Amino acid sequence: MNPAITVKELRKAYRFPRRRRGALGALAGLFHPDIVELEAVAGVSFEIAAGERVAIIGPNGAGKSTTLKMLSGVLEPTSGDAKVLGFTPWRQRRGLAYEIGVVFGQRSQLWTELPVRDSFSLLRRVYDQDGPTFARRRDDLVERFGVGALMDQPVARLSLGQRMRCEIVAALLHGPRLLFLDEPTIGLDVTAKAAIRDFIREQSLAEGLTVALTSHDTRDIELVCERVIVINSGRIVLDQPTDQLRRRFIARKLVTLQSQSARLELDLPGVTRRPSEPHTTVLEIDTRQTRIEAVIGAALALGGIEDVTVEDPPMEEVIHEIYAALDQ
Amino acid sequence: MRSTPPWTSRIFSTLAAMVAAYRIGLASALTAWPVLLGRAIFYGVCLMVLVAFWDKVGAQRLAGTLAVRLPPGGLGVYIGVTEWVTLSVPAIQLRLEDDIRSGALEPHLLRPKPYLAQTIAGEAGGMTARLAMLAVAGLALLAISGRPWPAGLGLVYVGVLGVIGALIGVLLYTLVGLTAFWLRRVLPALLIMQKLMFLLGGLFAPISFYPGWLHDLAAASPFAAHLAFAGQEVLTPSISDFSRALAAQAAWLVALVLAAALIWRAGLAKLMKGG
Repeated sequence: MNPAITVKELRKAYRFPRRRRGALGALAGLFHPDIVELEAVAGVSFEIAAGERVAIIGPNGAGKSTTLKMLSGVLEPTSGDAKVLGFTPWRQRRGLAYEIGVVFGQRSQLWTELPVRDSFSLLRRVYDQDGPTFARRRDDLVERFGVGALMDQPVARLSLGQRMRCEIVAALLHGPRLLFLDEPTIGLDVTAKAAIRDFIREQSLAEGLTVALTSHDTRDIELVCERVIVINSGRIVLDQPTDQLRRRFIARKLVTLQSQSARLELDLPGVTRRPSEPHTTVLEIDTRQTRIEAVIGAALALGGIEDVTVEDPPMEEVIHEIYAALDQ
Repeated sequence: MRSTPPWTSRIFSTLAAMVAAYRIGLASALTAWPVLLGRAIFYGVCLMVLVAFWDKVGAQRLAGTLAVRLPPGGLGVYIGVTEWVTLSVPAIQLRLEDDIRSGALEPHLLRPKPYLAQTIAGEAGGMTARLAMLAVAGLALLAISGRPWPAGLGLVYVGVLGVIGALIGVLLYTLVGLTAFWLRRVLPALLIMQKLMFLLGGLFAPISFYPGWLHDLAAASPFAAHLAFAGQEVLTPSISDFSRALAAQAAWLVALVLAAALIWRAGLAKLMKGG
């Protein structure tokens, strides 16, 4: 295996003064601060091979974003070591920057007041790209991501889905070998999410791009990544191929049925009813036992169905199941 | 892995990126021409109020000895110059505060070019558009008012010292913005900076009016280099004063760039350790 990322016992602890009660306590704290240490990442070790697509997941506060920040070079670890494409990220941040692309779902990297075209042109200078190479790559990505019609629009006027596509193009313009994605589909509608997942997967396969992704959306993990690292309380609790994880934990789906009748009676193997309001039936389906279409077909056969939605269980629940399984 | 380019190449590529950011800042400001026009109107209103004030001081001798020292035509043109510079300087401190507080800085740190240099260059681009627009407005107002024009090369001196003074203003506000690494909110630092600009920069009255000790203090500060030096050239233009002012401005530019770089490094080290 040719590793793109090697992490050894990486640890990050934050130290901050605990605030004492009352004015006298605050005054005393000035001279004798009560320092508290919070361990965000507690010595993680793993490798990611070149061209591999890996999801780093976990509940809020698990330490996954802290890990990504250390690997991208914007946060210095308390101890441990990491090599990303041969660089020590926090010591060689600028050198590494030429080799990586980063997309933060909740933060724009583009210049919001500028047209997309100008943002891309500025990035050409930022990454020292020669004109012809840059133009060829830009045109190729613009066509592949379908953002040609957006090029002359200011970023601030784009929809979230349009902006995210442009963000990903921007992150790929300089031809990075590694892409860090932090919640790349957050806030997007179903169509936009699907498009983004396809783009990332296709780009990775076409160019051998290594992808490290964090997300709370299980579909991002299932459709983009081939391996999942689960972090909780700063520790790796699971590291396995997505197929195995899917079979073990993401095999459940939630189907919500709105019906004219107050209650629907469905008796199928692997289908359990969740508490819900009258005229709403929430079913938890183990897809290893019964397929979704079989459940929906059975419900439609009962008649009076007004609406159907199919969802993944919340990531928090998946993680919870993982912990429960690990405890057993 | 790409090999690290030599430092000369890195400097040139950083400058090229700064020029690109500057050009985009300039183009953005020009595209938003109604905003520029609005600023020019605000400039005109400010001048009308302040010039009316100083004309009244001069006419009624309200300030005793101070009024005696007023130049012919009052302080209208002086105020025009200091306000020209003041209203052209971008609020870069707000952008820095926003980026540092919100965490928006992080994506910028993942690029190979220095964020601070890129930001200053972009803001300087916008400032250039404002300097040009307000200069046109100011000269038009001067022509309409019928007041005497600065003698000799006064306008040239004002132009050079005003543009460099504006750049010094950008750096002063950059220092204010960088306090966000420690203070989170830059308002306290901004209020102090603005009071110093008002007093030691001679925003509304030339520092030559001040008592000796205060004049010396003001003249040796970066605030005079920001505003007063350019304003003084419309009152008493001279090549020797211009040369001295230019040298002082150059020294302050270097000092402020170094100060900004040092504070940025300290702030960045804090951010990279503490998140």
